Amino acid sequence: MTNEVYDVLIIGSGHSGGMAAKILTEKGIRCLMLNAGPVADVSRDVRRMPASELPFRGFRPPGQVDHVFQASEFNANVWVDEREVPYTYDAEHPYNWVRVRLFGGRSLFWSRQSFRLSDYELKGASHDGFGADWPISYADLAPYYSRVEGICRVSGAMDGPPQLPNGNFILDNAPWSPSMERFIAAAKPRGIAVCKQRRALGQDGLASSVNLLLPDAEKTGKLTSIANAVVRQITVDKNTGLPNGCLFVDRLSRREMSVRARVVVLAAGTLESTRLLLNSGLANSSGVLGHYLTDQIYGAGLVCSVPEARNGQGKGLMGGPGAIVPRFRNISTRSSKFLRGYALNVTSSTGGLPPRSFAAYGAELQRKLDAYHGSGFHMTLMGEVLARYENHVRIDNSKTDAWGIPVLHVHTRYTDNEFNMAKDAVETGKELAHAAGFDVLAANDQPNPPGYSIHEIGTARMGDDPKTSVLNKWNQSHDHKNLFVVDGASFVSGGWQNPTMTILALSMRASEHLAGEMSKGNL
Amino acid sequence: MQRRQFVRAAISAGLAPTALLAQKSTTPNLPLPAPVPWTLGLNPRTPLPHTTVADAVADAPPAFFTERQMATLSRLADVLLPPLNGQPGALEAQAPQFLDFFVGSSSAQVQDVYTGGLDWLEAQAQKRFKTYFAALSDAQVDIVIKPWLRAWMSDHPPTELHADFVNIAHNDIREATVNSPVWNATHARGGEERTETGLYWEPIEPEQFSQSAACAAGQAHVLARPRLPQYMPEYKR
Repeated sequence: MTNEVYDVLIIGSGHSGGMAAKILTEKGIRCLMLNAGPVADVSRDVRRMPASELPFRGFRPPGQVDHVFQASEFNANVWVDEREVPYTYDAEHPYNWVRVRLFGGRSLFWSRQSFRLSDYELKGASHDGFGADWPISYADLAPYYSRVEGICRVSGAMDGPPQLPNGNFILDNAPWSPSMERFIAAAKPRGIAVCKQRRALGQDGLASSVNLLLPDAEKTGKLTSIANAVVRQITVDKNTGLPNGCLFVDRLSRREMSVRARVVVLAAGTLESTRLLLNSGLANSSGVLGHYLTDQIYGAGLVCSVPEARNGQGKGLMGGPGAIVPRFRNISTRSSKFLRGYALNVTSSTGGLPPRSFAAYGAELQRKLDAYHGSGFHMTLMGEVLARYENHVRIDNSKTDAWGIPVLHVHTRYTDNEFNMAKDAVETGKELAHAAGFDVLAANDQPNPPGYSIHEIGTARMGDDPKTSVLNKWNQSHDHKNLFVVDGASFVSGGWQNPTMTILALSMRASEHLAGEMSKGNL
Repeated sequence: MQRRQFVRAAISAGLAPTALLAQKSTTPNLPLPAPVPWTLGLNPRTPLPHTTVADAVADAPPAFFTERQMATLSRLADVLLPPLNGQPGALEAQAPQFLDFFVGSSSAQVQDVYTGGLDWLEAQAQKRFKTYFAALSDAQVDIVIKPWLRAWMSDHPPTELHADFVNIAHNDIREATVNSPVWNATHARGGEERTETGLYWEPIEPEQFSQSAACAAGQAHVLARPRLPQYMPEYKR
């Protein structure tokens, strides 16, 4: 028995947990970080291989990660094994829960697209009457976004309209390719802005908790970390009713252990944090915990070809920087088909096109692949999913994971709002492609199942009213003042934007507030 | 104490009297008698044996598809991806044999798409040409499959009956071929696909308890001989 009581227990080591550890330890606060999985060491765990030397020839090994469309045989072992930590859903409403439990979590593998929310999202209800406003505005978050962008070294151009606020960028001055200029010229008369892509450069192409945040925390000497610690339950002081630590099981030895702390910060990833709260019976006086699960629709888009670039003529015409078309629907006008809006990722490619882009086979297909090589122009959708009460998670007591912890049941589905949005995106993409003189080879207006974007957010939303929200505007539980949730669970709505910058900004803001409260003796 | 450490300690204890005797010997530099811990000689300079991929040299008997389905799949694969421009075709890459293994390991939903699709092809061949699909000419196969070919995007194959099978199978046959050892041994040109090469992640500290149901049910220690069913008397030492 160590009788050690840490100042703050941080559960989870991804972007949100890493930021909390950095901010808190730099203010002299002793933190203990638990992570459910091992440390990934690329010098030990990774080697370069051709698919022909793998047992499944690169195909996703059946059963292990069936819901991870992003997985292949190359990376199957980095995702959570669905046989080890299963989850359930109703057969008619599938959900793709894409998880990483390695130290650093999904921050090791994200696409690094880095966008700010605007008041079109944070005050969306005031704009169109649906859902709830966040208890904070863009002005509250802007200073934190700037600091986060500095840490992550976000590249971009100061070309955003109000719905895509500019930031603290490493300026991207690369010229557009002629093919992209044709696309921009097609978009402009339609009132559609085309901006430079915004992406975290990080260090050496990695913008992760393990290389940008945790080293700073470790430098203070105030951070202790444990890997392979699968948290079973948050413990509560019998006298005060306040959280005081947790029970966890060592993933490898299966030894049951516990730790204690004055404050608990949950950063396990949206649904794991909520699962832990539900399994612990905490933070749910509102009855809202688990509800308002949302994410973004992905999977719809178009594959086009630039005719002038075929047959090896694409040099100087294709490639160049990628573009983001920020939301343009329901800003100054109102669509009759859906609320909110979507963005398009746009890429001019110098590589080959996938064979599935052609309804051909054999020698004919090969001739097309040869001729169209280097002429591809791609558009993919990122659309807002409305935050609805009925989209929720709950504990499924009929099933447990490998450590006997009850699993999550996910009940969520897209509605006509999302399906109409996807159709509009593809119709608009076709219109733009044709106006630019491109051929559309393939198009898909059906989103992937919920969860696919790996942008699950909500389920412990913030708000000013303890009866309708789980957290206050500082990511602090209304019910337990020493309990914070700093990951995506706190989101009230999602927007179309990749949520990582917002998660980081919120975690930074919440952690500074927490440190202030501790220094005042309020916690 | 970990089992490996225990074994090492036990061996050391067993050696101790011999080692003490050796100190009194007039030939002190003789090597210790066997046994020695078996990992002592392994170090980073130890040469690693060269191995090859079983898929490149071994055969696997069909285990999932029926003989007729396998013949149909083979004919389909040969037409969809024949040898071209010096690159091996699907048959040379043993794509049908691989798919027999892969589909046989996959979900019932995937299996149904394949078995239903192959049976449908066979029925079409019988109905239109009064023979097995495997016996159709290239032109006859084209008549059957061409109406069902579609252009589509990743993760969203056609959902229309028959089009789903034709396009999914086409995609899988190509991937199984391009990622085969024989394709990787050739040099793709121009728009030809290359064997996918990337960073492969080994299992990272795998959780031993859940590795397989057989392991979980096994005994913690392997015994030299099975336990006897009858009572074995114990004697005080």
